Amino acid sequence: MGTLSRIPQLIVYGVISGSIISLGGIGVSLTYSILGFSNFAHGDIMALGAYICLGVFALFTGLGLGNTPIGPLSFGFSFVLSFVLALALTALAVIVIDRILFKHLRKAGSIILMMASIGLALGLRNILQFFWGPQPHYYIEKIQVASVIPALGIRIKPDQVFIIVLAVALVVLVHCFLQYTKMGKAMRASADNIALARVTGINTDRVILWTWVIGGALAATAGILTGIENKFITPELGWQMLLSVFAAVILGGLGNPYGAILGGMIIGLSEEVSTAFISTGYKPAVAFAIMIIMLLVRPTGLLGRRK
Amino acid sequence: MEVLHEVSVELDTGEIVTIIGPNGAGKSTLMKTIFGLLKPTGGKILFDGKNITGLPPDQIVRLGMAYVPQVDNVFPSLTAQENLEMGAFILTRNFSDRMDDIYGLFPLLKERKRQRVGRMSGGERQMVAMGRALMLNPKLILLDEPSTALAPNLAAMIFDRITAINQTGVAILIVEQNAKESLRLSDRGYVLASGRKRFEDTGKNLLTNKEIGELYLGG
Repeated sequence: MGTLSRIPQLIVYGVISGSIISLGGIGVSLTYSILGFSNFAHGDIMALGAYICLGVFALFTGLGLGNTPIGPLSFGFSFVLSFVLALALTALAVIVIDRILFKHLRKAGSIILMMASIGLALGLRNILQFFWGPQPHYYIEKIQVASVIPALGIRIKPDQVFIIVLAVALVVLVHCFLQYTKMGKAMRASADNIALARVTGINTDRVILWTWVIGGALAATAGILTGIENKFITPELGWQMLLSVFAAVILGGLGNPYGAILGGMIIGLSEEVSTAFISTGYKPAVAFAIMIIMLLVRPTGLLGRRK
Repeated sequence: MEVLHEVSVELDTGEIVTIIGPNGAGKSTLMKTIFGLLKPTGGKILFDGKNITGLPPDQIVRLGMAYVPQVDNVFPSLTAQENLEMGAFILTRNFSDRMDDIYGLFPLLKERKRQRVGRMSGGERQMVAMGRALMLNPKLILLDEPSTALAPNLAAMIFDRITAINQTGVAILIVEQNAKESLRLSDRGYVLASGRKRFEDTGKNLLTNKEIGELYLGG
């Protein structure tokens, strides 16, 4: 097959990967703007979510809860339930982590918080490895057959359609939350200027709580969707995606969740489409190159605010 | 480092008081201390007969005091209306009547309510900042240099609005560096220099006082 004829298919892969990167990026962006630090543990929070889902799913399966596939999808109701529970449990876990770790360091400044997040990243990854081992774990081992859409020259699996639809739905949900709810507006206000938010009477502790809930739940979603797309998860899953996620956030504009979504799509598409021309081994290099170019040319990012 | 030394100021209900003084006199420090952003090394801050010394700002807001910082006093990525909504964050009841009052004071904000404040001019931002501070219907509002960054015609407009706000019964404490306009509309004024209170008189008397004119009002 010629290089150019592969591009429609690579765009499909790019949109899938971009959807997942965007979901991870929203959390990084919100943490950066509201809590004031780059959370390097965000990738490992994604992995934590993926493993919590695995654990809950195994528990349900052990209890004899059936997982008859829903329509053309590879998974059924008990997996969906595990997915939803994993989001809630991951959100809870990051709130506990914030109370134990970050809360005490908030006055110490962004560098200390960032260093703490690197420690947390290593800790989380090793905890996952301790309990589940370094080997891959499978959600569902059955291989799904892709549907061919000849008119567009692409093949896509029902699970991949699910990933894209869910990501779009969550992005719309986050958008509505940020734009139309009182807490969402307070989060944007706190992202602008948390000191002013405090003197205005905004409950910034509650804003921080919501930041972790949304960031944690979306990270878990990104982790689980990675597991669905790749068919397996490893403790390294989040760490491997962290570069793409940070490249997306920087490209879109640090601190702007909409920038993270746009950046995620661009990074996902660039990484996949680049494989038509260069070896797949260079995918991370593509993300890294885009990040470096953006930092040199326009450090505020595509949608970044001028300070 | 101690910036203020034995400074004593007071405001009566519904008064406008201006504190003037050169750069570095401690004017902003005084405001931040009143509002709980800085902790005094000694002394007391009484508000409505209640000792509020050491209370954090988010509690002082609930007692009926509002503060408009000199810079970074708006949320730039929010619209004008959203800025006002944030001012009413602690309210659980409907506050649309209050928002209408504020649009009455600043009709321009009503026209531009859906515009992002980051794209507004300095004068419009100052209106947004003051509107936000008024959302909780405070008894006292602290204005840190409300006109400093503005062109003369805009500054005059802001002072006109300050008078209008005061006429609704809100006490106002202003600190200003270029203070003639501010003293003109004030009931009383203080002169602060090197962290100490130097003069205290009615606004009119401070304006006509020759020594103060030469030293602090630019002749």
